Amino acid sequence: MPTADTSLRDEYAAAVERLAGRTLDALRGAGGAVVLAGPGTAAAPRPLLAAVRVLGPDLFAPQLLGGARPDEQTALLLAEARHAFPSPIVAATAATSATSATATDTLAAPGAPSPPVDEDGPAGAALIAAWRDWATGVLLTRTLPSVTTPGFPGPDPAAPRPEHVPELQPPAWQGWSVRMAQLSALALPGLDGPVHEAARANTLALARGTVRSMLRRDHRVAARLARWLCWTQAQGLPLPLEVEPVLERIQVVGDGSARTALELAIGEALLATDGNGARP
Amino acid sequence: MTDHRLLATAQQLGSRAMAWLHASHDQGFGRLSDDITIDLADPNNAYKPLGECALAASLVLRDGVTGPHDARIARELLDFGWTQLREGNLLYERQLRHLVMTDPLETYVHFARAGYRHPAMDELLESLGRLRAVRAAEILPSRRLAVANARRVVGLRNQPDDWAALAAGTWLGATPEPWAVDWMTGYDITHTVFHLTDWGARPEDLPEPMRDYVRAWLDIWLEVGQWDLAGELLVVDSCIGEPVTGLQGWEALAAVQREDGLIPRDNSEPVAEDPAQAFQDHEHTAVVAVVAGTVTLSRALGGAAVAA
Repeated sequence: MPTADTSLRDEYAAAVERLAGRTLDALRGAGGAVVLAGPGTAAAPRPLLAAVRVLGPDLFAPQLLGGARPDEQTALLLAEARHAFPSPIVAATAATSATSATATDTLAAPGAPSPPVDEDGPAGAALIAAWRDWATGVLLTRTLPSVTTPGFPGPDPAAPRPEHVPELQPPAWQGWSVRMAQLSALALPGLDGPVHEAARANTLALARGTVRSMLRRDHRVAARLARWLCWTQAQGLPLPLEVEPVLERIQVVGDGSARTALELAIGEALLATDGNGARP
Repeated sequence: MTDHRLLATAQQLGSRAMAWLHASHDQGFGRLSDDITIDLADPNNAYKPLGECALAASLVLRDGVTGPHDARIARELLDFGWTQLREGNLLYERQLRHLVMTDPLETYVHFARAGYRHPAMDELLESLGRLRAVRAAEILPSRRLAVANARRVVGLRNQPDDWAALAAGTWLGATPEPWAVDWMTGYDITHTVFHLTDWGARPEDLPEPMRDYVRAWLDIWLEVGQWDLAGELLVVDSCIGEPVTGLQGWEALAAVQREDGLIPRDNSEPVAEDPAQAFQDHEHTAVVAVVAGTVTLSRALGGAAVAA
């Protein structure tokens, strides 16, 4: 029943936008926790849980970039969302495809038809999802060390990493940069690992991906890659591309969504840190 | 070492494009009208195609990396153009009347490169070059480079040009935000490289920061889908040293080339059925393909013999 699926998808997409907007507000409000729901809400509604699952580590961005500890309420909700949506399709659909400038995010509830398979194949999508889950897990277990969260790794961020990182073959920086865009949620203070190592080692490929996405008017992908550039610049690495004008340009011509605005705001905030959350 | 498949593709692409240009001339396209005068209202339409064909042919002869058949065709293209220009008299008279105009010199250079000289034109250019009025003419920076390179290739003796200042004045010289490139700035970039390097004969003459910049972003710009600009970017890649963009751009161009050698300018509309219209629309792309083929081959084989 395509009508019902479409409305469900729209409802979830709207929830993601709302939550991204709230995260943005919290980020601009100097590091407070994200206000996750209106007052008086008892159980978290399903669309909110879906949105929490999609944004994942970014829910902690206001705290991490403001030098505060992640708050427990957000962490608990993230854990709950992981239970509600155990399948990795959530993360896979949080990415924009390499070829479409207007790819929409889709979300499938349990029992709903699966979204179209990513062009790079299910294995690639699962890898992206695994890395996003890794990042969420690291932040969760740091916030709630006493809580065991099934499906998430334990408190040691070094231990249960996914086995692979997206690989960069020299002529294939296009595909690699798109996968790095899908992993932009890892570009946060306090997270480090092989994906971050790859970002540090391939700033030119990140910059090329950014420029290519700009010229293709794929502004969300451009914003996500620019966020990585901000992260690497905050780490003290020289960049082959000035990133501030990129952020400004996307602000003017981008899709106007809260999700893209959140990527840009996190990028800007990263530039004001040393990459580990400290403000030099 | 440049990939041999790339070189084979470049060679075939250029050779077929030149055959199409030659065949088009045989069919009568590209001729100036018999009543043409020096006051050509629009030199872009009137004789720019002749100049461009001469450019491509003169580089084929300069680089000397083609077989005897293609060398003969190149010579015939130049003969055709020179005859059309009344052995240079049209250029001379236009330059004589319009002393600050640059297009007579910019056209003459391609013939001069291949040994077609007009002594009175040489003298005139030498004398005009001493005028502040000529030097101060307000033209775009990349066009100013075209004039400087033309003066260099023709061999004018007066006042050498300040190449560093000329390079710095261009769009490319500013190494701008690479995502701001568009159709127009794309041509500004390619032409800046062409003239600074004299079409690949002086690869080291592109200042280092500009070279690094071009190499960082070239394969992104290649995705533009405008075939003549894509071809120019491939020329650029070959003009500044070992090419960095690989086989893909060449194969894309080769894939759109027709059996008769025509390469459409873009994918936006079908090639006109009327061959005269098709020549007018796609002549520039063919010229670019010839230049791309010869410069790439000659660079790979050890570099062009720089024209004196």
